[in-house]
Amino acid sequence: MKEVILIRFGEIFLKGRNYSYFENTLFKNVERRLKKFNLKLERISGRFLVSDFEAEDKDDIIEAIQTVFGLVSLSVAYEVETSVDTIKSACEKIKIKDKTFKVEVKRADKTFPIKSFEFAGELGGVILKNNPDVKVDVHSPQEIVYVDIRQNGKTYIFYDKIACLGGMPVGTAGRAMLLLSGGIDSPVAGFLMAKRGLCINAIHFESYPYTSEQAKQKVIDLANIIKKYTGNIRLFIVPFTRIQEEIHKNCDDEYMVTLVRRFMMEIAEQVAKKSDCQAIITGENLGQVASQTVEGITMTSMMAKDLPIFRPLISFDKIEISKISEKIGTYDISVLPYEDCCSVFLPKNPVTHPKLNKIVENEELLNREFLIQDAISKMEIIDIKN
Amino acid sequence: MVYLDNGATTKPRKEVVEEYVKNCEEGFFNPSAVYSSAFNLSKKIDGVRSLILDALSGDEYKDRVVFTSGATEANNLAIFGSATNRTKKYLFSVGEHPSVYNCAQELLTRGYNVQFIPLSNTGEVDYDAFEKLCDKDTCFVSTMFVNNETGAINDLYRIRNIIDSKNPNCIFHVDGVQSFCKLPLSVKKCKINLLSMSAHKIAGLKGVGALFISNKVNLKNISFGGGQEKGLRSGTVNAGGILAMGKAVELANRDMTKNLEKIGKLKTLLLENLYKNFKDKFICASTEKGSPYVVSLMFKGIKGEVLVRKLDSNGVIVGTGSACSANKVGNRILESMGYSKDQVVGAVRVSFGFDSTEEDVIEFCNKLKECY
Repeated sequence: MKEVILIRFGEIFLKGRNYSYFENTLFKNVERRLKKFNLKLERISGRFLVSDFEAEDKDDIIEAIQTVFGLVSLSVAYEVETSVDTIKSACEKIKIKDKTFKVEVKRADKTFPIKSFEFAGELGGVILKNNPDVKVDVHSPQEIVYVDIRQNGKTYIFYDKIACLGGMPVGTAGRAMLLLSGGIDSPVAGFLMAKRGLCINAIHFESYPYTSEQAKQKVIDLANIIKKYTGNIRLFIVPFTRIQEEIHKNCDDEYMVTLVRRFMMEIAEQVAKKSDCQAIITGENLGQVASQTVEGITMTSMMAKDLPIFRPLISFDKIEISKISEKIGTYDISVLPYEDCCSVFLPKNPVTHPKLNKIVENEELLNREFLIQDAISKMEIIDIKN
Repeated sequence: MVYLDNGATTKPRKEVVEEYVKNCEEGFFNPSAVYSSAFNLSKKIDGVRSLILDALSGDEYKDRVVFTSGATEANNLAIFGSATNRTKKYLFSVGEHPSVYNCAQELLTRGYNVQFIPLSNTGEVDYDAFEKLCDKDTCFVSTMFVNNETGAINDLYRIRNIIDSKNPNCIFHVDGVQSFCKLPLSVKKCKINLLSMSAHKIAGLKGVGALFISNKVNLKNISFGGGQEKGLRSGTVNAGGILAMGKAVELANRDMTKNLEKIGKLKTLLLENLYKNFKDKFICASTEKGSPYVVSLMFKGIKGEVLVRKLDSNGVIVGTGSACSANKVGNRILESMGYSKDQVVGAVRVSFGFDSTEEDVIEFCNKLKECY
């Protein structure tokens, strides 16, 4: 009996004629994620199969598989040659931990001589022999033994299914530009949109010397964590100090945050378009801070003229966002106390209901186009690779 | 580049580096081994102990010096090695470096009776408050000689006298990191029982420090292993680092008076220049009486760390006063002296080394004009 890992995928079955494109992308994503291990990865009708791995790598492999979007579940299984006798002798070795169980047989190989229901009964009997203290319960068993008779001449026997992330394979929905600040929200927003199949580029606005080298490193570290889920990330670091200084010097203090965010959105869209992104992602959340009112978001949104803005966290509570952040491993870095550009020159009372005419008045005091092109021309590009 | 963050660390002297390299090439043996090359090395290390005792006016025959990985380890050994009785009182100045202050906090969580001595507005220990806190049950007092953020000098003689009037058997620990080989100090005169020091603050190398232990103290080891350093600090002895420290001590001790005079002039030059060009725009938290090696400045209307980064971009390196103003933790020492959070946020520390020059000070002042 050899141990293997069976990987199942779900939603992409719905894609009809595009099925093979989705499956190929998903297979490549799994392959890329597992490339550092010594193993065999293959497709077997409607599933992926990992075999020939070192026993000590098993847990790490499972953890890596659980970071790939598009996968629904995995099981560690025993692989045996398909025959009534070998399957029965494999079932003799099964130890049931709970009090009740049932056997579920699936015959993708219809040439197998015994019908599924009947064979399940026979195997249940075999298992009962070696587990005298347990009972069969076909309606609500505590444990299910799956016996999967595949068309490749192999049968897989496994007890439990380990959930994966679900979603769509990264790359099947195109590419989007994530505004990555260094806080808790934006990495989670990137993670959630990658779940819907988007590849991620990221843009960060840096305000050195008002923010530190550590603040920039924090963003790089965050990108390095989310790349586990999203695949490679191209990170654009835009020097933003001059723009903030100009706003601080020339414009109404209470409009600082709104004006800053409009600059960010305009720059983000320009860089997004140049780097083949079809959308923008932000970690914005209605009502979380003063600038995230409906009016505030409207004033920012209008700066992205051609691309849609995805805001997957718009309705989340902070506590829900933090939970995801902890789960994906970005929380501990996000809470490091380095200021990001948003907290530089922060006014005491930022405007919560900004008026467009006031914004335009303020923006007319600035050489916007020059400032934007100057910042983009001095942008640094870092490739965060898996 | 102008480097004025010598309170954080100093550039090792050329002679120190040469001594270290020589040891790596010729004297790489484990000094605890039995063969003659190892024994000869251990004699050289003992020579460094003598040098240190000499620099502190210790007693070569009775007192001891234990080498450690630095002052943090020396402080830990001094404090946890002395803390044996939970019923007695342990006093720490509130202005201590984290390597002492956090040991005190740990003792508190372990159930010891720990109390903190406040600072006066000069940054020195509040002697009157100390006199009230110290009593016959006080078994351990820890105060630094020179404060690492303000340069304030504690009157150790006065502190010891207060201790003696309450409990002469009380152990007196001094964190001497910012003063060792910079300011004259006699452990004999001040009846100091334990004194921590670090090599890299006096142009030695990082990773080496020492604890002076007077013959009156019966210190417990806090780590376990091969029993090196008379059982107080197990682990292979860092022979190269210690011999290099010996060179740094030898040179710094030889030039102490000369250096003190030179650095004193630099401090005066700095403050004259600042008062002339930035009057009313900053507060100096360091007093005239303090160590000239450390000058604490608080600038108005700018965060200390922002100013530090601006100066850095212009080729001038200084330190921040507070470790982390980003999350508004503030600065324990400056706030204890009575400064407000708003003032403290603009703190910058200028600290001189033996190789600092007048040109460095002038360049700092010039760049400050551009950055502030």
